[in-house]
Amino acid sequence: MAYTPQFYPGSTSVGINRRKHMSGNIEKLRDIPEADVVAIMGHRAPGADYASTHPPLKEMGEPDCPVRQLVAPTAGAAAGDRVRYSQWTDSMYFAPSIPYFRSYWGAINCRGCDPGTLSGRQIIEARERDIEKYTKQQYDSEMTDVALCSMRGCTVHGHSLRLEENGMQFDMLARTEMGKDGNVYAVKDQVGIPLDKKINLGKPMTEAEAKKRTTIFRFDGVPMGGKIGARKFDEAIEMTHHMWEYRSKWGYRPE
Amino acid sequence: MAVKHTKKLFIKALNKKFGKDFDLASQKTEYKRLGPEQNARKREFMEFAKKLEGKRGMTGYNPYVHAGGIPLGQRQLVPYKLSSTEYVVEGDDLHFVNNPAMQQMWDDIRRTIIVGLDMAHEVLQKRLGKEVTPETINNYLEILNHAMPGAAVVQEHMVETHPGLVDDCNVRVFTGDDALADEIDAQYLIDINKMFPAEQAEVLKAAIGKTSWQAVHIPTIVVRSCDGGTTSRWSAMQLSMTFIDAYNMCAGEAAVADLAYAAKHAAVLHMSDMLPARRARGPNNPGGLSFGYMADMVQTSRVKPQDPVYVSLNVVAAGAMLYDQIWLGSYMSGGVGFTQYATAAYTNDVLDDFCYYGVDYAVDKFGGFAKAPKTIDVAKELATEVTLYGIEQYEAFPTLLEDHFGGSQRAAVLAAASGITSSIASGHSQIGLAGWYLSMLLHKEAWGRLGFFGYDLQDQCGPTNVFSYQSDEGNPLELRGANYPNYAMNVGHQGEYAGITSAAHAGRMDAFAVSPLIKVTFANPGLVFDWANIRDCFGKGGAREFRAAGERSLVMPSV
Repeated sequence: MAYTPQFYPGSTSVGINRRKHMSGNIEKLRDIPEADVVAIMGHRAPGADYASTHPPLKEMGEPDCPVRQLVAPTAGAAAGDRVRYSQWTDSMYFAPSIPYFRSYWGAINCRGCDPGTLSGRQIIEARERDIEKYTKQQYDSEMTDVALCSMRGCTVHGHSLRLEENGMQFDMLARTEMGKDGNVYAVKDQVGIPLDKKINLGKPMTEAEAKKRTTIFRFDGVPMGGKIGARKFDEAIEMTHHMWEYRSKWGYRPE
Repeated sequence: MAVKHTKKLFIKALNKKFGKDFDLASQKTEYKRLGPEQNARKREFMEFAKKLEGKRGMTGYNPYVHAGGIPLGQRQLVPYKLSSTEYVVEGDDLHFVNNPAMQQMWDDIRRTIIVGLDMAHEVLQKRLGKEVTPETINNYLEILNHAMPGAAVVQEHMVETHPGLVDDCNVRVFTGDDALADEIDAQYLIDINKMFPAEQAEVLKAAIGKTSWQAVHIPTIVVRSCDGGTTSRWSAMQLSMTFIDAYNMCAGEAAVADLAYAAKHAAVLHMSDMLPARRARGPNNPGGLSFGYMADMVQTSRVKPQDPVYVSLNVVAAGAMLYDQIWLGSYMSGGVGFTQYATAAYTNDVLDDFCYYGVDYAVDKFGGFAKAPKTIDVAKELATEVTLYGIEQYEAFPTLLEDHFGGSQRAAVLAAASGITSSIASGHSQIGLAGWYLSMLLHKEAWGRLGFFGYDLQDQCGPTNVFSYQSDEGNPLELRGANYPNYAMNVGHQGEYAGITSAAHAGRMDAFAVSPLIKVTFANPGLVFDWANIRDCFGKGGAREFRAAGERSLVMPSV
């Protein structure tokens, strides 16, 4: 019988969404042009050549290595691209994705990438043309809501702050703005340098839509442990208790 | 089961921060982006920087170079209430550079050394046949309190330090022997019976026994010019010279070497251990300070023993400031970020609220402090309840979440509340530590985020070291310290570990956590920092009401 990864426990919408993010079985919601994604990332001008750190692998005369024979290089590695990044800040007010689940998505589904997970931001580094592909996948999919999530290379402050009155996540550098037409526009790149033109990212999710697609447990959405005086543990808690207990006991008695 | 604690202590602080009638529960707000001018302290900084421009001949502080011309203050720059006090100060006032009380707390540790008297007395009596009596001891202490600040005895034509610069220096003795203590001139005695509640005093005296000790506090200005490694040397030199004077010894006789050896090595208790070469610090530096010693230095346990949460939270505050702001934030790293992390543990009554909730819950369930079984199931139940309670508060009060805007702050506070609750409930620091790690895992699972990168190692792998007996990773929490493997990198941990250590003993109503000598030494009324009221003293420092020692203005032209 073929093994089917389970990825994550629980039957709530949060558990289900977490499984979707981890498995990569995510819905595409929009199609932001590649050139616009590249402009927002800010590493190269759209249409410009890729900078490289070494010649294409085919020209390098690689050593006879069984691992190299087994593992095909990514497009970026084959071309010798430099390593670049995209970094996301996801609001705690029902943004669809959250740092660990962006990282799990990357680590499980994206070859040749290096995810890093913090509380207020989540970074993935990869060869340039690879990270451009991975970034577009995230931008276009249900992992991202354009009001509650944004790309921020620095000055990421905002994930835990109250939302602006128009429902946008706070951004000190105001890299995105809500247009009068109800669409969200990117006006600065990841590190806050103004873009040559505003980029239309489309309409944000409604609150109900964000709550439906979110991966965060919250008491006013799907709570992980019920509420004070009326505890009801999600399977995620039972799983965590199990892991913690075994880690603690086996640290005491390593066998 | 009824839950007693429903006070939501943090609401008062949030009202002070955001305004009395502010809707603390709204998830949306208008960001006015008023910049640094909205804040009195930033305005003061900018005005002062302007004055300095001509004097310096080069640019300095200018908040408008921040982020390409977008300065701090795009959100509301809110003040901080020191937990359980009435002090409300600006965040800047809690950076140790701006807060003389914080500096003095650390100075009081590194300028302290404990030196046994008994070994020296044995040398005098057995090797030299000298008589040692309460009268000779009092005479010795009078000479010592002249010499220790940096004054001459025995020698002619010596330079000396200005008494006005070193007035914080003092040496007092203590002993578990009431008969001897009665004979010591009161000005030179740390009177255990007077300073501690009767039950604690009896335990301390029994632990110290007939031995006698000197609590030596060398001048603050000396350790600020040198470092903590100086303390034992400075102290030993002046102790040896004083013995020569007080007991009419020959300055060059071999017995002096015995006295010096006792003062430098054999009868000495440093405040912290020397660090390995890669950290390059001598003894009496913060990296070698154990959590148990930190717990004993803080004196809240003798002034408010009936409230173990309050006791533990004062230890957390002391530890967060020293380990996070000064050790990790300055010795090991640098800059400003560490203060922001650390203050979450001792401001705005948030950790207080979470801890009182947890401890009330535990007392209801187990019938009192330190009554719960010392089992992993107790840690599981209490840490889960406290973590879920805290998470719900952050969710229900978006201004609270905004106040602890970094995941490291929230992780530290949630896990500390879980650990302190488990410790007080069980009276066992290792159960507290188990609660800490479970809280970290639950927090990460709830919100899909925790702290910064380092939390992956320290907190997600951490449960394995709680009960480990392997020599490089297993230790009672009391004996772990800032340089324990895996603890040497992450802000928002070490002060909290010290608090969890303290909580176990506070729950048991112990007189001390690890060392009766440390506990009594820091009861010395001659210390400059207020070791019984840590958070209050930090507030005084922030409010510019605290006068630190080590001032140089006496010998400089006025500004």
